[in-house]
Amino acid sequence: MDHFPTNWGRPRNDAFDAYGTYPIHQRPNNVKDTFAEGVQHTQQPIVTGTSVLAIKYKDGIMMAADNLASYGSLARFRDVQRLHAVGNHTVLGASGDMSDFQYIRSLLDDLVIEEFTEQDEHTLGPAEIHEYLSQLMYARRSKLNPLWNSLLVGGYKDGKRFLAYVDLLGTTYSASTIATGYGSYIAQPLLRKAVEGREDTLTELEAQAILEESLLVLFYRDARSLDKYQIAKVTEGGVAISESMALKTSWSFAEGIRGYGAQTQ
Amino acid sequence: MAQTRSFNPYTENGGTILAISGQDFSVIAGDTRQSEGYSIQTRYAPKVFRLTDRAVLAVNGFAADGNMFVKKVKQRLEWYKHAHSKDMPLKAIARLIQTMLYAKRFFPYYVYNILGGIEEDGTGAVYSFDPVGSYEREACRAAGAAQSLVQPFLDNQIYFKNQVAAPGTTHPAHLPLPDVLSIVIDSFTSATERHIEVGDGLEVYIVLAKGRDLQDFEAIRARNVHLTQELTVTEDGERIFVMRLDLKKD
Amino acid sequence: MEYNGGSVVAMVGKGCVAIASDLRLGNQALGISSNFQKIFPITDRIYLGLPGLATDVTTLKEQFRYRVNMYTIKEEREIEPEAFAHLVSSTLYERRFGPYFIEPVMAGLTKKPSGEYRPFIAASDLIGCLNFAKDFVVAGTASSKLFGVAEGLWEPDLEPEDLFETISQTLLNAVDRDAYSGWGAIVHVITPESVITRTLKGRMD
Repeated sequence: MDHFPTNWGRPRNDAFDAYGTYPIHQRPNNVKDTFAEGVQHTQQPIVTGTSVLAIKYKDGIMMAADNLASYGSLARFRDVQRLHAVGNHTVLGASGDMSDFQYIRSLLDDLVIEEFTEQDEHTLGPAEIHEYLSQLMYARRSKLNPLWNSLLVGGYKDGKRFLAYVDLLGTTYSASTIATGYGSYIAQPLLRKAVEGREDTLTELEAQAILEESLLVLFYRDARSLDKYQIAKVTEGGVAISESMALKTSWSFAEGIRGYGAQTQ
Repeated sequence: MAQTRSFNPYTENGGTILAISGQDFSVIAGDTRQSEGYSIQTRYAPKVFRLTDRAVLAVNGFAADGNMFVKKVKQRLEWYKHAHSKDMPLKAIARLIQTMLYAKRFFPYYVYNILGGIEEDGTGAVYSFDPVGSYEREACRAAGAAQSLVQPFLDNQIYFKNQVAAPGTTHPAHLPLPDVLSIVIDSFTSATERHIEVGDGLEVYIVLAKGRDLQDFEAIRARNVHLTQELTVTEDGERIFVMRLDLKKD
Repeated sequence: MEYNGGSVVAMVGKGCVAIASDLRLGNQALGISSNFQKIFPITDRIYLGLPGLATDVTTLKEQFRYRVNMYTIKEEREIEPEAFAHLVSSTLYERRFGPYFIEPVMAGLTKKPSGEYRPFIAASDLIGCLNFAKDFVVAGTASSKLFGVAEGLWEPDLEPEDLFETISQTLLNAVDRDAYSGWGAIVHVITPESVITRTLKGRMD
């Protein structure tokens, strides 16, 4: 019970605020949480996923991520899905803390169900999902209790492609190619070179080849990555997330390099 | 626990903004690059926003705070419009921004704001703010990553600092629009040349006072037809245009 | 750099070069002198600017005087700007792990085999990494401001008087936005015939 009468509510004044437009966004919160000192915040990610890559192409957007969830340097879970369909027009890809990602998925699934039960011919598109996530991530960072992720939201709705980023600070942006984590250093230059200026002509096959090549380079250089991955595409026809696939790696070059493979001496 | 590094809720996203006011116009510009560290996140993320038909706001610093701040300012302006059936005047927007920034004095929006537009008396105006709400009205202001490169250039070219007028003449108090636009573009090409966080694109908002003669502007507009877009909503008030130019991408 | 403050800029013109500095010596925010020399003549056509720690300005000025004299005696000729730039560089790199806190700026005219003169400017960081620029070089506490103004004002092939105006405006407007530089300025324009030196009035705040 709040014992401060001034916090119970303020009467509206018809003289200057006939339509209730005067802002009362937040009343002071004098209620102390008895257990405040015992509440813990996420101060570091625990089980983590590495890079997510995504590009725009002729028919929509395509996103890729491997199937690894690491526990520090330990490759702990090797069959994790980091791409998630949200409704029929959107795919969400996550790097960073996997338990936070799981929580975000549950929020989004609830959101989609609520929207569905309205039965008002309106469905959530990628822009709405991204806006929701931006507000969620920014609100959590403002409570100094962030959801430790970098998220990519890709989608296709009403003939429009959508691709955008949001991270634990609430920072957002959109571009025709985006990569998170190590991918932003290693894959992003490759993606930009292949995609920029060709967004409207790249075929599905070409787009997939570009992403697979980038995943391969990442697998060679990012020690927290895996050669098992999935690719999601969102087009006019909706979301399709592939089964897990394996990268075709080649290690013959390592033959003559001391310290790279098995050495006899 | 012995040592836990605490979470840092801020980052810096680069870029630069700039505004110059004239007798009966105001120019507000910003580059469109968004970066973090040495990485370019995107080549097109607007930092300059139309608030009303005579007010434009440029925000620079931590992008997430900037976007949230603009969103909340726009919300307050909409509430004002519903309550008073008119747009909020520029000087009132300036005071509103100060109040909103100071409200978060102890967990600030890490954002430098520059507000440009037309005052109720029809004069061009620029207001600049620090992250916690200190503000003043000025004729010109640069902020952001390349502030230290651009501001002294503006002192020289806008305020004629360290320049002596020819005998029997005085320096003009207000520059004509074509001159101002040239200075804005030169400032950004210079900053792009010498600062890694500036570049990719330039968005220049031009706010013209109600009933202003458009002759000088039409000449510029004609030269840049494909680059210039009118954003004005009402027919009889101030007019807003935006010019989009390329900057070097390296 | 912020201990004593100070800034230097050099620019290339048509058949001429210019070098200019402020005149302030400070102790952090406190102004001490408004007549502190940071630019020194090395030969008749080489000038050297030494912004940075004042004690090192004095030390290096004497060090370079000594080394240039030794060079002149051994070689029996005047040192050329290119050679002098490398002398500056190696002098600083000798102290790679305990450097002088100085960022030198040089301006001079190089004599070509044809007998004509070619403009030369260079700058170095505090451990001797040389920067041979074709347009202008800056150093000191107002360097970022100098970069901004110079990039906006400078253009190629300026005649001596126009170059003087350009470098003067660049310096004055840059130091007026710098708390650690200012308190008057000095400009040298080096032409094949003569060196024009002018002391400028500046803001004293």
